[in-house]
Amino acid sequence: MVDYDPALIGRVFEVTDPVPVTAEMIRDFCRATGETSPLFVDEEAAKRGPYGSIVAPPSFAVTFRNGRQFFEHIPRFGRQGFDAGKDVEFVAPIRPGDKITLSSHVKEIYEKTGRTGSMVFVVVRSTLKNQNDEIVAHVDHRFMNRP
Amino acid sequence: MPQSQRKYEDVKVGDALGPQELFLSKEQVRAYARTTGMWVPRFTDDEGARKEGLPGMITPGNMSLALLSKLVTDWLGSSDARLVRVGTTYRQPVLPDHTIILQGFVTHTNDADRTADMDIWIENEEAERLVIGTATVQFGKS
Repeated sequence: MVDYDPALIGRVFEVTDPVPVTAEMIRDFCRATGETSPLFVDEEAAKRGPYGSIVAPPSFAVTFRNGRQFFEHIPRFGRQGFDAGKDVEFVAPIRPGDKITLSSHVKEIYEKTGRTGSMVFVVVRSTLKNQNDEIVAHVDHRFMNRP
Repeated sequence: MPQSQRKYEDVKVGDALGPQELFLSKEQVRAYARTTGMWVPRFTDDEGARKEGLPGMITPGNMSLALLSKLVTDWLGSSDARLVRVGTTYRQPVLPDHTIILQGFVTHTNDADRTADMDIWIENEEAERLVIGTATVQFGKS
């Protein structure tokens, strides 16, 4: 089994400064992803929709950057790890004017053996909150390392 | 903009999402990298990406996740449902300046929660699944 300090699991190692979300950021994101839904791009139509104003498309939640020290706190196993995937829970919409903070902890570490040999996965969970201390999303980053 | 009014009662296991065919240009990938603060050679520049051992510039995993999320929200249209969960696994790099196909199908419905689960994926023109994933949508009360 892989060797690591169990005290790592669940301990928040980083909280970022709040990032202000602007209407322009949401508009640029929609352009880059080809988004055309009125919920996300049409102010007038969005007013009559379920959210009462434009909101960001759900996947905007994964655009927030982790802090500078992020990778210093993630244990490495062998060669450089890479982004193997993500699991995202969308709790509440992100709106223009929100200020988003990320707090991150190591959620789990596990080993798997596949066709190409042994792999160690480190899952880091970042919880996104807005200025009202409401959770808007949980983003689980799955990093893969080859020992 | 195609805006369906999908209702939970109409959703059946096996229902298809897409396929959506998309020519993903380098310019679009750069636009994504620019607006999301991912402006690094592997996502913006062929030569810089090759120096990192890649075949050329690649699409950020987060952008693949965004395109698959959009496949689901397009399918929901202007209904009262929302995307509540998405998971992705990056199996092979998604190379820009190629046509990709986004698609999926409903795998499970839950009457008590009014949720539906689906498998979603991105494949290339050779029908290789580059990114695979799952999603859950939640419908409003009837």
